[in-house]
Amino acid sequence: MNALLAMDTRLFSDRSVWTMIHGIGLGGAALMALAAALFSLRAMRAADPSNSAMRESRYLAWLVVFAAAALWLTVLIGTFVSFPAYRATPPDGLTDLSQYPRSLLQSNPDTVWLHALAMEIKEHVPWIAAMLATAVAFVALRYRSRLLADMRLNSMATGLLGICFGLASIVGVLGIFVNKVAPLE
Amino acid sequence: MATMKDQQKEVANGAALASFLAAGIGAFAVGFFVIIHEAGLFSAPALYGPAGGVTGRTTFAAVTWLIGWAVLHSRWKDRQLESNRVYTATLVLTALGIVLSFPPVWRIFA
Repeated sequence: MNALLAMDTRLFSDRSVWTMIHGIGLGGAALMALAAALFSLRAMRAADPSNSAMRESRYLAWLVVFAAAALWLTVLIGTFVSFPAYRATPPDGLTDLSQYPRSLLQSNPDTVWLHALAMEIKEHVPWIAAMLATAVAFVALRYRSRLLADMRLNSMATGLLGICFGLASIVGVLGIFVNKVAPLE
Repeated sequence: MATMKDQQKEVANGAALASFLAAGIGAFAVGFFVIIHEAGLFSAPALYGPAGGVTGRTTFAAVTWLIGWAVLHSRWKDRQLESNRVYTATLVLTALGIVLSFPPVWRIFA
């Protein structure tokens, strides 16, 4: 009885919790960290190689490392935890497809694009974003204050991190679209 | 006292450019494994059945990225390189990887 009551009053399913960890927790954290890192890369550039610049560059390095780690966790959980539930095949004859998001999207001509375009992009592009963030994180860790003092290195890192931020943002928005129409519940 | 070689190692941009170009190679590899799958030329095996072929395609791309990074890093880490060409190559490879991962492009090859 108690178990039944607990099940009835449970607000979110495991699948829903994992989706929130994937999209809001880790994905959101990665986007915020990327935005902060991009701002810092520009705002602190040309800093003198003083002690304070050394300290600031250390904070920046760990910020980019955090962004890269959050992106990788988002990608891996998305691929290996959320995606299998999304693409599960419903039993033959089932009419209520609410537990089978891919089939639900494909059953309606108005929402087919959410699988054929949005989800297909979400499957692959985040891996590119994670690789770019990792490259910049490595450089931030290895070069520290030189990443702020060397204009060329700074602009290259900023460019790649900007691409990464753009990709992660687009993928995040597509994920919201998919989850609004066919949530993993 | 740091030797000349140590100082050169400290400021050499080779390790940074190696990591950037490797990321470009990895990005291109993502698009490459996607497009050859869509064209029916080669499908990377699913490494985790419930998630399907995407696990094979992305893992192959990630391995390509890491191998590329290791090779480039070992060759460039102590060198000072001209950055414009390497950075341009990184951007081109990244753009190609993104474009090849874009579903409407698949119809050209399918």
